[in-house]
Amino acid sequence: MTDTQWPRYEVFVQERPGRPHQHAGSVHAPDPEMALLNARDVFVRRPECAGLWVAPATAVHGGSAEELPQLLAAPRSQGGSPSNEYLVFAKLEERGTLTHVGEVRAAGREAALAAAQEAAGNRPPLALWVIPAERVERSLPEEAASMFDPSRHKPFRNQAFYHIQTALQRLRRDPSLIANRQSPEARR
Amino acid sequence: MRPDLRPLLADALLGLADDEMILAHRDSEWTGHAPILEEDIAFANIALDEMGHAGIWYRLVAELRGEEPDTYPDRLVFHRAPDEFRCIRMVELPKGDWAFTIVRQFLFDSAEIVRLQALGQSHHPPLAKAAAKIAIEERYHDRHLRAWVRRLGLGTEESHGKMQAALDQLWPYTGQLFEPPSSEGELVAAGSFPASEAMAAAWVEGAAATLADAGLRTQAGQPGINGGRLQHTEHLEPLLAELQSVARLEPQASW
Repeated sequence: MTDTQWPRYEVFVQERPGRPHQHAGSVHAPDPEMALLNARDVFVRRPECAGLWVAPATAVHGGSAEELPQLLAAPRSQGGSPSNEYLVFAKLEERGTLTHVGEVRAAGREAALAAAQEAAGNRPPLALWVIPAERVERSLPEEAASMFDPSRHKPFRNQAFYHIQTALQRLRRDPSLIANRQSPEARR
Repeated sequence: MRPDLRPLLADALLGLADDEMILAHRDSEWTGHAPILEEDIAFANIALDEMGHAGIWYRLVAELRGEEPDTYPDRLVFHRAPDEFRCIRMVELPKGDWAFTIVRQFLFDSAEIVRLQALGQSHHPPLAKAAAKIAIEERYHDRHLRAWVRRLGLGTEESHGKMQAALDQLWPYTGQLFEPPSSEGELVAAGSFPASEAMAAAWVEGAAATLADAGLRTQAGQPGINGGRLQHTEHLEPLLAELQSVARLEPQASW
């Protein structure tokens, strides 16, 4: 069966200004702008958010600590400019997630991954990604108010907030409360 | 504000509240059925936002009428008859296909942005404050809707055809988007409510430009109003029967 899904984009959320962007999950979208909008709706309706990045999943190079040795041993792509900028995301703790830790410049994705691994020094990451900076679509600071502020003012209410259970208990005690009523459709 | 203007402003805002409420219900009908999962979530968010805006306007109506702001909105939504609603007919129309939904939402939200900007200047401070709050969310709706309008309008022959058909069907209803409230003269003179004619002109220019950029043709001129806000399509009654069915099972229930 052919895949009829739109391309997948990885989503990175910045919870507060000054904090690093962290991997939140992925969305499908036909293009980067729609990916950014979908990411907003899927990942930042409730929690706080100050900024959003999305990048096509195909632009991500890297993997888990188990996968890294093989990726780092792979032949390097040729011909790129050594000044190409890559964003580096590393997972440093078991309970953490891939977090933006900085940038490297390299001629290709393999060299970028090697440079990122080297920069990690004696603290080898549990997972490491590099993404070409130009492939990352970012929310603009001036858009933050309309994209992210409304979610701060929306209360999240769990089920217990509503008095449905007391209403149900009353109906169970006296089922005639329901039986005597007709639906609006039935009345017509 | 002058006591004699309060009921007039309440009536004008009730129309805006009903527009949002009925459109929110139509939008909510997509929940679980939108073209893709991500858009399903996005559009459910938009439906919830519109319902929240309706709530803000209903509360203002309650305050202007001296009613209890916590309970009066529910009474208005769940216990009024169809002929007491003041929504415009565009929001009553069945949800149609995705192109119809996108075009309707774009027409409505782009008009709302123009109106909110003007309402933000209202001399009635609670109204100006509410408009500013709603406008923040509408700016995002506008971006979302423009993105869809552009992609479907310029997409394939099929998507373009469906968008143009939806626009042709909806355009005649847009005359009502800025239908002046019955007492507009007094409200405008007092600075409480903006003049509809100027808003309509600003809206039609902006909306037609966005649609043209998406390869969509609008019919020349702006259609008339064709009857006021108390005249409805045959679609409102069944919509309300469903929307009100649960609340009417147990009118005294507290939710």
